Amino acid sequence: MGNPITVNMPLQKDLPSHASTHPLAGQSMSGAEVVVQVLADEGVGVLFGYSGGAILPVYDAVFRYNATHLSPLGGEPMPLIVPANEQGAGFMAAGYARASGKVGVAIVTSGPGATNMVTPVRDAMSDSVPMVVICGQVPTGALGSDAFQEAPVSNIMSPCAKHVFLLTDPERLEATLRTAFEIARSGRPGPVVVDIPKDVQNTTLTFAGEGTLPIPGYRARQHAIQTARVDDAQCDAFFDALAKARRPLIYAGGGVIAGEASATLRAFVAQFGLPVTTTLMGLGAIDTTEPLALHMLGMHGTAYANYAVEDCDFLLALGARFDDRVASVPDRFAPHARFIAQIDIDPAEIGKVKSVHWHHHGDLDRTLSRLHQFGVRHGFNFGAEGRYAHWHDHIGALKQTHALNYDRESPLIQPQAVIEAINRHTQGRAVISTGVGQHQMWAAQYFDFREPRHWLTSGSMGTMGFGLPAAIGAQFARRDAVVIDIDGDASIRMNLGELETVTTYGLPVKVVVLNNIGDGMVRQWQKLFFRGRFASSDKSLHKKDFIKAAQADGFEWAKRLEDKAELAATIADFIAFEGPAFLEVMIDPDAGVYPMVGPGATYAQMITGDFIPSRVAPAEVGDSKSDMF
Amino acid sequence: MKHTLSILLQNESGALMRVAGLFAARHCNIDSLTVAATRDPAVSQLTLVMHGADDTVEQIIKQTRKLVDVIEVTHPAASTP
Ligand SMILES: Cc1ncc(C[n+]2csc(CCOP(=O)(O)OP(=O)(O)O)c2C)c(N)n1
Ligand SMILES: [Mg+2]
Repeated sequence: MGNPITVNMPLQKDLPSHASTHPLAGQSMSGAEVVVQVLADEGVGVLFGYSGGAILPVYDAVFRYNATHLSPLGGEPMPLIVPANEQGAGFMAAGYARASGKVGVAIVTSGPGATNMVTPVRDAMSDSVPMVVICGQVPTGALGSDAFQEAPVSNIMSPCAKHVFLLTDPERLEATLRTAFEIARSGRPGPVVVDIPKDVQNTTLTFAGEGTLPIPGYRARQHAIQTARVDDAQCDAFFDALAKARRPLIYAGGGVIAGEASATLRAFVAQFGLPVTTTLMGLGAIDTTEPLALHMLGMHGTAYANYAVEDCDFLLALGARFDDRVASVPDRFAPHARFIAQIDIDPAEIGKVKSVHWHHHGDLDRTLSRLHQFGVRHGFNFGAEGRYAHWHDHIGALKQTHALNYDRESPLIQPQAVIEAINRHTQGRAVISTGVGQHQMWAAQYFDFREPRHWLTSGSMGTMGFGLPAAIGAQFARRDAVVIDIDGDASIRMNLGELETVTTYGLPVKVVVLNNIGDGMVRQWQKLFFRGRFASSDKSLHKKDFIKAAQADGFEWAKRLEDKAELAATIADFIAFEGPAFLEVMIDPDAGVYPMVGPGATYAQMITGDFIPSRVAPAEVGDSKSDMF
Repeated sequence: MKHTLSILLQNESGALMRVAGLFAARHCNIDSLTVAATRDPAVSQLTLVMHGADDTVEQIIKQTRKLVDVIEVTHPAASTP
């Protein structure tokens, strides 16, 4: 383990031997060149990173690779995109991965370069985003000597990442990198960090062109997941319960997106007639404009979705983990559900928060298809035969009565109106990223989402500063798409340096700052739970002129919107602009995010605010003594 | 309730730290931990004793199985305090 004389397991290429068919097999290369070649073999089309002493050999190899190879689309095959801060590179790689489903790759130097990458790595872990992060490290001989720009990357990153490799044996470099990609994308995806000492980058190696590390435990578990099949008895039990249900509901999470199961889910819904609500991470799993779609549930979910959860008698959780933003009080979540079923690729999520009556751990897409086929084979057409017609009527009524709404008459610009106005142009087809706070929740609530991978948000970590770099990364993944960062005045400050990155690379990214002069979400909690004592959440003394800042960073189109009457025209102009565009909207600083299921509260206690009818009388608010967060 | 877990671990850089760190981060105290070599020099055998409610232990075993270097975790019938 920490022992330098550990005996390494044989590499898989040493096992049954057959000649590699890689055209470069047998060639002599430096470790750095091996890194770049494996990246190329893995289909990596863009890198995000910042250089420094300990990673220079890899950067040089990337430079030479790009100088001697041509992308099929013309230009460099592996452009290296340089952020203002490594955190930006991490979120760019994550935005790229979230928008494309491919592994995002970031490359940074040792010490501060690597520690600046901790937040994006943890963010990717929490939201199950596949990434490979390559860090330079001080030479093997200097490890543990408090060398210049040395940080214990393996120690720091291990509890934050899906896995970390510290490469001390150059012979294992090639197989390790390939394995890093395998781990990042297999099972429940996540970030893998590869820490490469500089001497390893400089070692002359023979490129094998194949081979991975033996990771017998991991592979055996992946194999079990991939081959796990729901047997007929389990299918029977599932459909038995579904046939008895009168108000069944699907609760779909980010696993549907990560597992590419959206099309299968839609077919399942059409066949069996179950309404669907999604988590923040699951937005886009189903077309939110469909009659059976209930949009988002949870702390700031729609009132109708949360009421449907209260009312359902059968709940099917798909790639969703009953987290505290959804099930703050697990015992009282879906209190009338007599049958809860859960499908997840991660066995540790089954029954972690709430015990379930039926479960399967396996590939979501395959499991759902299997259930679908079983149902069809047994003649279950619950959708077409209108078995749940009463429930559908109830859902329709909930959607109508408790629709999202806000102060439409106010003379001040309401943030929800801004999102609605943008949505009128984009119609659920744009790729949207966000910061964290009220603006994030308004965006989640008021945009339509038609397809997976159009909604990029830091869900579990809730990292302010995610929006702008994620939009940049997403634009590299989706050159064709309109990519819009809906940001907050505080969140965008966290990675404001990346405004310049947008113009440096000529990306047509659209940035919207919903400026409420401060940390709106914090103020909302202070209003509700701390009697309006706004400790440190007000930014009225802040002097920044966002328009000048954007202009200084090269945005030709940079405007501030203050007059409600100009909203529609300004948004039209903003969206139509071909290049990068920056729009600051001065919104009502008192606008709140509703509905809200307070921390530690049940859905029955949801506050719907002044503009959405509630089913119950609102509760008292006062000083919070709760530890709930 | 006292639980003894037996963990087969690949002898990789940082592997022991990842197991110990997982228990620490999940607020689970390790009473004792012994590491022994196995016939395969690339594999170590960990014997870990901890206290915890049954569902806590079940969850931490599942989390341990997510560690890439972990080959297998077994939990021979729970012993009494
Ligand atoms: C990195 C980080 N620090 C602190 C927080 C806590 N936090 C959550 S929302 C918020 C305020 C965000 O303000 P802004 O970006 O302006 O969004 P608004 O709520 O005003 O729309 C803060 C401080 C966080 N989520 N992330
Ligand atoms: Mg704000």
